[in-house]
Amino acid sequence: MSAGVGVRKSWSPSQIILTVVGAAVSAVMTAPLVWTLFTSFKSEAEAVAVPVRWLPKDWTAQAWKNIFETGNITNWFVNSLVVSICVTFVVVLVSALAGYGFARTEFRGKNALLGLVMAGLMISPAVLGVPLFTTVQSMGMIDTYWGMILPQCAPAAMVYILYKFFQGIPREVEEAAFIDGAGRWRIFFTIVLPLSRPSLSAVGIFTFIASWNNFLWPYMATNNPDLMTMPNGIATVMNSYGIQWAQLMAGGLMAGLPLIIVFVFFQRQIVAGVAHTGLAGQ
Amino acid sequence: MTTLDTTAVPGAVRSVAAVAEDGNRARLGRMLQHGGWFVAPFLLLYALFVLVPILRGLWLSLTDANITGEGASFVGLDNYREALGDPLMWESLGHSAYFTLLVVPCIVVAAFLLAMLAHHIEHAKWLWRLCFFAPFLLPSAVVGNMWRWMFNPDTGLIDHIFGLESAWLTQKSTAMTAVVIATLWWTVGFSFLLYLAALQNIPPHLYEAAALDGANAWHRMIRITLPMLRNITGLVVALQILASLQVFDQVVVMYEFGPGPEQSTRTLVQYTLEQGFTSYRVGYASAISILFFLIIAIVALGRMWLLRKREEGTR
Amino acid sequence: MGQPDLNRRQLLGGLGGLAVAGSLGFAAVGTGADALASGAGTRVRYWNLFSGGDGANMIAMLDAFRKANPGIDVKDSTLRWGNPYYTKLAMAAAGDRAPELGVTHLGRLAGFAPERLLDPFDREILARYGVREEDFDPALWKRSVIDGKLYALPLDIHPQLNFYRKDVCEKAGLIGDDGNLVPLTSTDDWFDALKAAKKAVRRGIQTVGVHASDQNFAWWFFMSFYAQAGGTYYDSGLTDVTFDTDKATEVLEFLRRHITDGYNVPGAPDAEHFINGGAFVWEGGWSVPVYSGPKLDYGATPLPALFGKPATQAESHAFVLPRQAERGGAGNEAAHRLAAHIVLHAVDWAGGGHIPAHLPTLSDPAYQKLRPQSEYASAMDHMALEPEAWFSGSSGTLSQRIGPVVVAANLGSVKPEAVARRMRRVLEGLLEMRNPMGGGAA
Repeated sequence: MSAGVGVRKSWSPSQIILTVVGAAVSAVMTAPLVWTLFTSFKSEAEAVAVPVRWLPKDWTAQAWKNIFETGNITNWFVNSLVVSICVTFVVVLVSALAGYGFARTEFRGKNALLGLVMAGLMISPAVLGVPLFTTVQSMGMIDTYWGMILPQCAPAAMVYILYKFFQGIPREVEEAAFIDGAGRWRIFFTIVLPLSRPSLSAVGIFTFIASWNNFLWPYMATNNPDLMTMPNGIATVMNSYGIQWAQLMAGGLMAGLPLIIVFVFFQRQIVAGVAHTGLAGQ
Repeated sequence: MTTLDTTAVPGAVRSVAAVAEDGNRARLGRMLQHGGWFVAPFLLLYALFVLVPILRGLWLSLTDANITGEGASFVGLDNYREALGDPLMWESLGHSAYFTLLVVPCIVVAAFLLAMLAHHIEHAKWLWRLCFFAPFLLPSAVVGNMWRWMFNPDTGLIDHIFGLESAWLTQKSTAMTAVVIATLWWTVGFSFLLYLAALQNIPPHLYEAAALDGANAWHRMIRITLPMLRNITGLVVALQILASLQVFDQVVVMYEFGPGPEQSTRTLVQYTLEQGFTSYRVGYASAISILFFLIIAIVALGRMWLLRKREEGTR
Repeated sequence: MGQPDLNRRQLLGGLGGLAVAGSLGFAAVGTGADALASGAGTRVRYWNLFSGGDGANMIAMLDAFRKANPGIDVKDSTLRWGNPYYTKLAMAAAGDRAPELGVTHLGRLAGFAPERLLDPFDREILARYGVREEDFDPALWKRSVIDGKLYALPLDIHPQLNFYRKDVCEKAGLIGDDGNLVPLTSTDDWFDALKAAKKAVRRGIQTVGVHASDQNFAWWFFMSFYAQAGGTYYDSGLTDVTFDTDKATEVLEFLRRHITDGYNVPGAPDAEHFINGGAFVWEGGWSVPVYSGPKLDYGATPLPALFGKPATQAESHAFVLPRQAERGGAGNEAAHRLAAHIVLHAVDWAGGGHIPAHLPTLSDPAYQKLRPQSEYASAMDHMALEPEAWFSGSSGTLSQRIGPVVVAANLGSVKPEAVARRMRRVLEGLLEMRNPMGGGAA
């Protein structure tokens, strides 16, 4: 076994074994997804038929047609998009500013504030959901887009990641601009941000995934089915005709496939983004 | 990483600005250069949606507030007293802890093995990454529904493939295992990527040197790979413990927002939300939230303490 | 429809402002889609928890209403029964974003904090649309009134029933001269009947479905037989627990015996076994459409009175007006109108197995023709109810705490005597808990 020491690709016996094992594990990992896909192309009757069959006997797009025609699902999809895009935009902007402020400027109380923010790494809606709900409720934001978006916009972790990153940028880069008389803001927007594109996209990608898939907070913050996001709608709103598995699976794929398709195309960036944001916790 | 030399900059700002401008404009300009403006937007959001809820939670936990936000009165430590004597609270905490205990080792081992596999296969690398990571991109609600369907004794895939007739989701003995399996499948991809990145960061010359010394693959793994992965393992374990203690989504979806067979899968987050939003006891729910926050804080601080100790050890 | 888009545009516009000024204009921007009235006449948002046969019936009734009232735009949403529904309805009311009309189980009313989370019905508006107090079962109406105000408009009663297959029971000699199930009046009668029925049932099919591992059904069936035995939970002032552990033990042993004697397999799909040839299944009236679909020859009675007086657990669906700070106007009027319409057209609703709360419907020939509905209409006179307290009602705190305890006895993981004591402790614990909405309601 050549331990990744930059050898040419070969089909040595060990590579064949590894590839076979990899294929088997991949089959296990993707089986539930594939099965979900097949189920969504069955009729409702066939979906619950015993014994279980992998492939639909009669392929039908009825379930897909139904979710578009009768359900709220297109509405939820747009809601999910709006919320995730807004959250991503605000988080990237706000945490880049804060990361830079903490890394590169001096002001009284900075270290105390930084400590306070770091303490926030431990807070999540799962831990403080009920008080967060009453806070947002008292602002009159339950069942609004703002109520869903803004509480997702204060992730201390993202500030920390960018703070670490900005600390790593050599000071000389900025100093030249200072001497030319540029202000902090100009330096930030014209020099620092362009340099940070990989880190910013890592934060952005990670935030988008987290927000698109966020269940708990939108679950607490929205009751009106018209305003729900995909995960929340799928879990709490029901078809009036009862649980219909083929439709449920089609809806689930609607919610899950966009990110998977995006992943296929932007694999390198996403892998780097997840690894980067995760590793920054070290 | 880099040095933390931060003394020169503010002076530079002031002097540059002073030379370039004068009068009010200069003062305004100087004011805008203040670092506080950079952190202000975040701090505002942070204050509104993190700090205020903590303080509010602390206050609410001392009252008998209900969900309407009206007519709460101070009850002292009654809520905490009740929580500490509430068997359901302890049971729910126990379920969360039990889940953590089951799922964290599984994820760590599986993620490591998957990463080793993906790292060493030389062909179609993107394919393995895609297959191992894809489930992580699904929303929890979708995962919950999928696995509820997978575990169905009549129409589900699991019993069909393995020739079982086990009602996974309706008996106490298998209820939590089912959640663990679903969670492992769903989240292993994240830790997998972390391990993969760490493997790729191991300098190849270490292996080359070892190969020259005649170490075989097994020895290289024991002597180089595993020690080099110690930090990332610490990180994965810590992240997984914190996330698993807060488990909620996939469990409630799999058990249709109920407590599971014989109440065997109700987690602490679920119990808190039940108290707050089903029984409308916001004060009591806040007290449990604060206790839960303390537990999370202890775990997080414990990790920091371990890290610091190790750093001192290596110095 | 349409509003979310508008709001989205507002929001995106506002976001630019947010980014530039760093100021949060949410109070102005975030008022939400629902506050705005749609252009297409009066809008009534109506949240319910009906799915399956009920859902289909409700949709048909709503369509009929829409046809008759083109000026009213009914926007109905179905949320999952149980926690999600009640949580969301309460949170929407608490956050002042409630729909115009909702549905609740009547047992939940006390705990739903009528004065805080609900608005009372305007009886004059209801009267205008034909709803009169004297047309309702007095007991039901009384439960809907709190502090003199009508907080709920009862729609139906849905009792727990003993469904029996006439073909199978005929073979077992359990069908009387009238073509219905012979009366069974003691536990011995019942188990004799099961013994006979078991012989008439195919191998691999269970004799009776009792939903042994379902915490809701387990509790409902316990309640039924415990009430037959004359058991109570609290004294009238809700100060003392009057739970009789001896009677409870007897009932729990009775329930457990279905499993130990091999008449029931816990966790089996009870409805499917019944369809495939099981003799009995205990279920709510809402299962009627499930069994009428496959054209089974079956009947349904209230749960047989095996412990003395007849009693069977029953709940009621009722319309409610979730609290809106500015309730009134055309939307409110339309909500009253919709609720009245559905309550008065309860024959269609009864097709789903429910007993109509609107009494004149019971004597409607169309209702009397319904089988097996008319066979169990008497169940409304013998309802076994949860105590009237804030923790009661469908999927409420009481049932969530006590249901799993009953299941433990059914499955044999805990001895019946111990379960009875545990149930008593649950009941005691609930009394000690503070009513979160502060007295009054209990």
